[in-house]
Amino acid sequence: MNTTVVGSRVLREDAWGKVFGQTKFPADVNLPDQIYGVVVRSPYPHARVREISITQAMEMPGVVAVLSAKDVPHNSHGVLFRDQPVLADYIRMVGDPVAVVGAETLEIARAAAKLVQVDYELMPAVFDPEEAMLPEVLPLHPELCPTNILYHMPIRRGAMDKGWALADVVIEQDYRTQHIDHAFLQPEALLAYVDERGHMVVQTATQYAHYDRGEIAHALGLRFSQVQVKTLAVGGAFGGREDISLQIIAALMALKTLRPVKMENTREESFYSHSKRHPMRMHYKTGASKDGKLVAMEAKIIGDAGAYASWSINVLRKSAVHATGPYEIPNVSIDSYAVFTNNPFSGAMRGFGAAQTVLAYESQMDLLAKELKISPLEIRLRNHFRVGSTTATGQVLTSSVPLDQCLAKIAPYLQKGEDT
Amino acid sequence: MIEIKFVLNNKPCALNVEANERLLDVLRNRLGLMGTKEGCGEGECGACTVIIDGKTVNSCLVLAPQVDGCQITTIEGVGNRQSPHPVQKAFVQVGAVQCGFCTPGMVLSAKNLLDKNPQPNDKEIGVAMSGNLCRCTGYDKILRAVKLAAEEGKG
Amino acid sequence: MKKRGIGIGCAWYGTGYGNGFPDVSSAFVEIHDDGSATVLTGAVDVGQGSNSIYAQIAAEELGLESQDICVYSADTDVTPDSGTTAATRQTYNTGNAVLKAVRQAKSRLLDYAAREFSCPTIEGIELKAGYIGIKGDPSRRMPLADMVFKARLHGQRLISAESSTARSTPVDLETGQGAPYWPYAFGSQMAEVEVDTETGMVSVLKVVAVHDVGKAINPTQVEAQIAGGVAQGLGYALLEELELQEGRIKNPALSSYLIPTALDVPNIEAFFVEEAEETGPFGAKGLGEPAMLPTVAAVINAIDDAVGVRITSLPATPEKILHALAVKKEELAKK
Ligand code: FES
Ligand code: FES
Repeated sequence: MNTTVVGSRVLREDAWGKVFGQTKFPADVNLPDQIYGVVVRSPYPHARVREISITQAMEMPGVVAVLSAKDVPHNSHGVLFRDQPVLADYIRMVGDPVAVVGAETLEIARAAAKLVQVDYELMPAVFDPEEAMLPEVLPLHPELCPTNILYHMPIRRGAMDKGWALADVVIEQDYRTQHIDHAFLQPEALLAYVDERGHMVVQTATQYAHYDRGEIAHALGLRFSQVQVKTLAVGGAFGGREDISLQIIAALMALKTLRPVKMENTREESFYSHSKRHPMRMHYKTGASKDGKLVAMEAKIIGDAGAYASWSINVLRKSAVHATGPYEIPNVSIDSYAVFTNNPFSGAMRGFGAAQTVLAYESQMDLLAKELKISPLEIRLRNHFRVGSTTATGQVLTSSVPLDQCLAKIAPYLQKGEDT
Repeated sequence: MIEIKFVLNNKPCALNVEANERLLDVLRNRLGLMGTKEGCGEGECGACTVIIDGKTVNSCLVLAPQVDGCQITTIEGVGNRQSPHPVQKAFVQVGAVQCGFCTPGMVLSAKNLLDKNPQPNDKEIGVAMSGNLCRCTGYDKILRAVKLAAEEGKG
Repeated sequence: MKKRGIGIGCAWYGTGYGNGFPDVSSAFVEIHDDGSATVLTGAVDVGQGSNSIYAQIAAEELGLESQDICVYSADTDVTPDSGTTAATRQTYNTGNAVLKAVRQAKSRLLDYAAREFSCPTIEGIELKAGYIGIKGDPSRRMPLADMVFKARLHGQRLISAESSTARSTPVDLETGQGAPYWPYAFGSQMAEVEVDTETGMVSVLKVVAVHDVGKAINPTQVEAQIAGGVAQGLGYALLEELELQEGRIKNPALSSYLIPTALDVPNIEAFFVEEAEETGPFGAKGLGEPAMLPTVAAVINAIDDAVGVRITSLPATPEKILHALAVKKEELAKK
C-alpha cells in the first residue's frame, strides 16, 4: 500500500512540551486549599485488623481526616474480580493499605500516618507457591476458589506417548524467573476533587481511564456520569498502572472532606502500591527427532499470583498458550497454574506471561541443538512457525508470520569478537 | 527561616527557606517550576537534575540553604518553542522522548556535558548520561540525540 | 579471562486481550471547517506515542499532514472507552477504530463532494495533499477546507463515532484448544556478551533486534520501542530482582533495585520486517510487548556460548555464573 504520512518519521507533537519541561504529570498539578493524603500500609503479610485507633493522629494540628475500611461505601476493586480492598481490614500482603490520613501539609500527613495505631491479629502466611498449592494450606480467597490454586490451564494436543516415541533426544530442565517491578520513572500521583458540578474529578496517570472511573464510581457509590478521570502525562506504565493504586483512596478522601486531595507516592510506597511481574517455576521436557524436528513437549508452569488475583488468570493463560515458543510441535501437554500466596500481588507487566516462558523454551532449543550437533539458528529454522502452521492450541496461523524474515535479517550478525 | 539569594535561570531570586528544605521542593512547590521531577528522592534517578554553578546536581539531595549565592539552571531556563536549545531539538528530532518524565533531567545533563566538552566521544556521553535513569527508551535514541546535538554544535 | 559469546532468542506474542474477552476500541472524529480534524479516543498514551500514531493514521486517510490532526485522549468526560493501553493493542485496535471513524466522517464529505463534482460514485473522489478532487483528473480539485466549508454551509456535519473489535475466542477449558489471540507478532534478537570468568560479570556488547510489525506506521517510534524493550529485557536477564523476606520487599528503592543505566545498555541495532497484517490499520500490528521478549533468551544463550554454563534462573547474576563455572570445573575434574 502506498502511504505518505503512515510510514514516515513524523515527529511526536508531545515531545516538545516534554523537552521544555512544560508537560504536566499528575505530581505537577495542584489546587488552592488542597490537602495531602498519605496511606498507612500493613507491615504484615497476613493479618486481621482488630482495631484502628485514630485519636492520636486526629489530635495532631493540621490533620483533617483519617479514613479506614469502615468509611468505604463499597470496599473492593479489581480488574477480573473485585477481590482487593480499597482500605483493608483483612490483610493479605505487606503494603496493603489500611488507612489514609488527610492533612494540611504533606509533612503533617506523614507524621500523623505514623500515629495511626493499628492492632493486628497476625495469621500464618505462605510465600512459596508450591507450598500454597497444598490442600491443607488455608485459602486466601475462599470466595474465589476453595484452594489457593486460582487457575489451572491445561493444553493437550496430539498424543504424548507417540511424541516421546519419535524423540531421539530429550531435554528436561527446570527454570525459574523472579519477581520484578515495573520501576516506571514517575511514582503514582494524583489530584482528586469534587468540582463545581458536584462531580468527582480525578487527575492521574493510568493505563485505562475508563476502568478507573468505573472502580471509583463503584467503590464510592457514584454514577459513572458523576466521575471524571482525566489522564495527565503518564511517566511510563508497562502494566504497573492497570490496577487501581491510589485513585479510590484519594477520591474517598476528597468526597469526605470536600477538599482537593493531592497524593504522591514516594519510590518506596510505589513499590508497594502496584503489581509485580509473576515469578514462575517452569518444568520443561522437550524432544526432537534426529533430523532436528521438535516432536513432543511437556511443561508445567507455576506462577506466583501473590495476594490478589489481578490479571493472573490471563497471565498464566498467556504463559500456556505461548509455552512452545514460535515453533510447531505436534504433541504437547502443558499445565499452567496461578497460585495465591502472601507475596506482593502479581499482575500485568510488559510481556504478560509470555515473557517468562521465553527463558525456558529458548534455552531448550539451544540445549537440543547442542545434543543434535546443529547450530542454534538451524534448529530454529527447522521448526519455526510459518503461514499455515498450527499452534499448541490448534490455531492455524493464516497470515503475517514473518519469523523467517526476522531470522534471515539476524543471521549475518551471528558472529562474535575475540576473547581477551 | 534562612534568607537565601541565588540566580535562577538568569534572574535574581531571594527567598526565606527552612534549614531542611530540599532544593527540589523549593523549585516545585514555592517557585512553581514543575519541570524538575522527583523519581526517587534519593539521588538515584536524575529526574530532579538541575545545573548549579556549571555542575549537574540532583536537587533532591541539595538543601535549599546550600544554594545561597549560586547560579541555578532548571529546564525552564533552557530554550523554548521559538529557540529550542540544540539538545532539545535533537531529542525531538531523533525520537529520544517517550514518556518524558526523565527528559528534563536528560536534557540538562546533555546540555551541561556539551557546555564543558562540545565534542564528547561515545564513552564520555555514556558516562555523562549514566546518572539519569530512563525506563522507556533504552537510552539508544537519547545517546544518539546527544551525539547529534554535538555534531550540530560543530557547524 | 573475558570470553565472548553470542546467542539467539525468538519469541511470539498474541496481541489483544485474548480468549474471547471483548476487545473493543472506540473513537470520535470531527473534520473542521478548515479541513483539519480532531480525534477523540479513550486510549491512554502512556508515553509510547499512541497519540501521534493516531494522528498519522487520520492524516493519511484524509490526505493531510500529522499536524493537521488534534488527538485528545483518555478523559472520561470527553472521550469514548478504548480499553486498556496494554496487551500491545493500541496501535492495532484503537488504530483500527480511529481509521474506521475517520472513514465514516470522510464518507459524508465524499458523498457531498461527489455531487459537487457530478461524479456518480464516491469511488471517483480522492483526498490528497490537502485537496479533494476527481481521481485521475488533477484539474478538477479544490482545497479540502473549501469543500468542508461548503458542505457545512449546506448543513452537513462531518462527525463520526466508530468502534473496532479484535477477533478472539475462548479456548476449551479441558484441552486448551482454540484460537485465543489475533494477530500474533514475532521477533528475533541476537546478543553478543562478554563474560569475565574471574568475576562472573556479564557485559552485553551488542544487541540486534528484528521485529515483525506488519507495517511501521512510524519507523522512529518502532526503533524506540525496540530499544526500550531490549533494555528492559537486559534488566530482566541480568540485573533486576525484587528481594522478598516474608513478603516484605527488602529493596524498595532504585539504589537497591537496579534497573539498567546508559552504561548497561549496548549498541542496539533495531530492524523491522513489514508483512502487512490484513486486519490492521494500514497493515500494522502491535510491537510494545514483543520488543522485550527475545532479549532474555539471547543473553542467556550467549552466556552459555561464551563460557559453557547454562543459567536457568533469572537474573543471571555474577554469583550464579561463578557458581555454575565452579560446578562445571568440578565435573570436568571428576571426568
Ligand atoms: S529524585 Fe532526585 S535523583 Fe531521583
Ligand atoms: S522517556 Fe520515560 S523514563 Fe525516559
